[in-house]
Amino acid sequence: MTQVATPQTLLGATGGAEFSFGGRDYKMEQQGDKLFVRTRSLGRTYGEPQQIVLVTGSHTLQVPWLETHDGRTLEQFPFAYIVAEKIWAPVSQTFLMPPDVKEYYSIGAWNGACMDCHVTEGQSRFVASNTWDSRVAEFGIACEACHSEGREHISLNHDPIRRFKIHLTNKTDSSITNPNRLTGPNSGLDCGQCHSVWAFKGMEDKIDFNRHGATFRPGQPDLTQRFVVQPSAPDYSEQKDFIRKTEPDFFRNRFWGDGMIRVTGRELNGVQASPCFRGGNFSCISCHEMHPTDMRQSNLNKWARSAQLKPRMESDEACLQCHKTMASNISAHTHHPADSSGSRCYNCHMPNTTFGLLHAMRSHQVSSPNAQESTEFGRPNACNLCHLNKTLAWTAEELQTWYNISPPKLPDEDQKIAAAAKWIVKGDAGQRALITWGMGWQPAQEVSGRDWLYPYLIYCLTDSYAANRFLAWKSLQTLPGFSDFSFTYTAEGRSLNNEAASALVKWLRQVRSPSIVFPPEMMLDPDGRFQKETFERLRNERDEKPILLAE
Amino acid sequence: MKPSDRNLKFGWWSLLVFLSLGGVLEILHGFKVGWYVDVGNDVRRLMFTLAHAHGTALALVNIAAGLTARSFKNFEMRRSISLSLIWAGVLFPVGFFLGGVVTYGGDPGLGIWMVPIAAILLFYAVIRIALDLSRFD
Repeated sequence: MTQVATPQTLLGATGGAEFSFGGRDYKMEQQGDKLFVRTRSLGRTYGEPQQIVLVTGSHTLQVPWLETHDGRTLEQFPFAYIVAEKIWAPVSQTFLMPPDVKEYYSIGAWNGACMDCHVTEGQSRFVASNTWDSRVAEFGIACEACHSEGREHISLNHDPIRRFKIHLTNKTDSSITNPNRLTGPNSGLDCGQCHSVWAFKGMEDKIDFNRHGATFRPGQPDLTQRFVVQPSAPDYSEQKDFIRKTEPDFFRNRFWGDGMIRVTGRELNGVQASPCFRGGNFSCISCHEMHPTDMRQSNLNKWARSAQLKPRMESDEACLQCHKTMASNISAHTHHPADSSGSRCYNCHMPNTTFGLLHAMRSHQVSSPNAQESTEFGRPNACNLCHLNKTLAWTAEELQTWYNISPPKLPDEDQKIAAAAKWIVKGDAGQRALITWGMGWQPAQEVSGRDWLYPYLIYCLTDSYAANRFLAWKSLQTLPGFSDFSFTYTAEGRSLNNEAASALVKWLRQVRSPSIVFPPEMMLDPDGRFQKETFERLRNERDEKPILLAE
Repeated sequence: MKPSDRNLKFGWWSLLVFLSLGGVLEILHGFKVGWYVDVGNDVRRLMFTLAHAHGTALALVNIAAGLTARSFKNFEMRRSISLSLIWAGVLFPVGFFLGGVVTYGGDPGLGIWMVPIAAILLFYAVIRIALDLSRFD
């Protein structure tokens, strides 16, 4: 959502706050109910204040937008506020992106891109050069975003007799769209008009969308000017080929190699690709709800924290509402004790393999784990996201024994080194992000043990990707002895190395139990240091391809 | 029993009931009972408040009507006026109250339909009293 920026809506707004990044200084000022920013190049005096007029995001990450005095064109403020940590960080360090990518902090980014989804019924209205005359119906995600146009509905329902006829007969009010009464695919599009990777069907559609906004209305079976981009689906091949030519990294920045979505906020891509979707009833609101019936503040807080899930949908109930026969003997299917995390449907079929807003999140493509997804597409499988201490060969063997899944041919290191240890040293930045987050995930810690995680997370404090440093910091804080560990993940070079060195000394001298024995898969010597030869070999083989997750 | 005596008795008992309801509503506020004060229950809150306010006001109207009849020598309310006032005093607050017990989103429950009937009865009684008093020497 987008809001008018005030000291109340921009949570980190404090008069006098100063920031430096990319050779420029920024100073935030408050005048009454308005916020301003002055900017200067290093060593120069501050220029005229620019008002912070809007702020995008509300409960996780907030990005402020500045006036430009050029129509309704906005300029991106180069810092974002991380709500949970109460810290400001350069926007480029709140996304998983290579350190050498210069964030463009562009003028017009909100008008040309963000407002497509962060407002209700936005119209970008490009004028010329980098000038925009944007319009919105409402800044927040309001009623009509999901229920379609309301004019007729409001007009008809002035009549109390009509309303009571509907109340007392449970008839559908045909004057408004109710996603709960749509088919699964149509209901999914209601959310997926934003929560999907979409593209324009053609240039005319793009121009029309820009000038007049989306023509899609909730309830329609198609996004009209746009389509949901599914790399593995046979549809819209001409448009997808065009994307491949004009934006070669488009798919890599959003999808795993097998077409599974890997960024958060695009959940419909996962839902559409799930086997459950083929039944025609499965949609976002099978598990989520936007209007909880229990409106007590405590329940609303819980609902907001639990991804707006319906009651009991954080449990197996989400799957068992359809897969009813599983409930009687869940262990027969999971091969794990019924009350363990290994018997929770989500953990195996919706593992945390998507990433965005500085954390891993559950994939919304319901799938079954296999070792091949890891060897072929690099995606950490559900088994090793929990059993961090086990090798990929162990996973392949168990899956063959339990589910008769043929094991892939695995190299020697996958027989000997824990999959998580390998990925966090040798993997690309996306794999490292998922494993670094996973090392702070309580179910994985309980299954895999905590003692061996310290050196890996401390090592990741110096990862070249800022997002991975953030994750290492937060995961370290979940481990005994490090709950109050402070770390400036946005720092550079020597400072990072010093903080990581201090953390290592603390672990070796104060936290580590001298009697602990590390199994060989951990790649650790008895004194807690990495086995030098193996570690350096994996480090030298690290997949350094740039990863930019376009969440 | 004279009609005005009936209105006086009804008025005082009704005043007792609906002042007590006011006390109950204050207790619901005081203990922040979710069924009454939560954000999604604003229609219920409005309906109960209206039940309390109308019940109390109609009780006073019944008392005033009874006292009015007594204050004019040889004047007595028609039976239909007396019963209309009493039924208005019942249907108004009970309609609002039932309208608040079950709600449909932004709409009150079916009980709310008692309110227009009560309004007609009240309107009839008031206009009839006004006309009768105007003609009375």
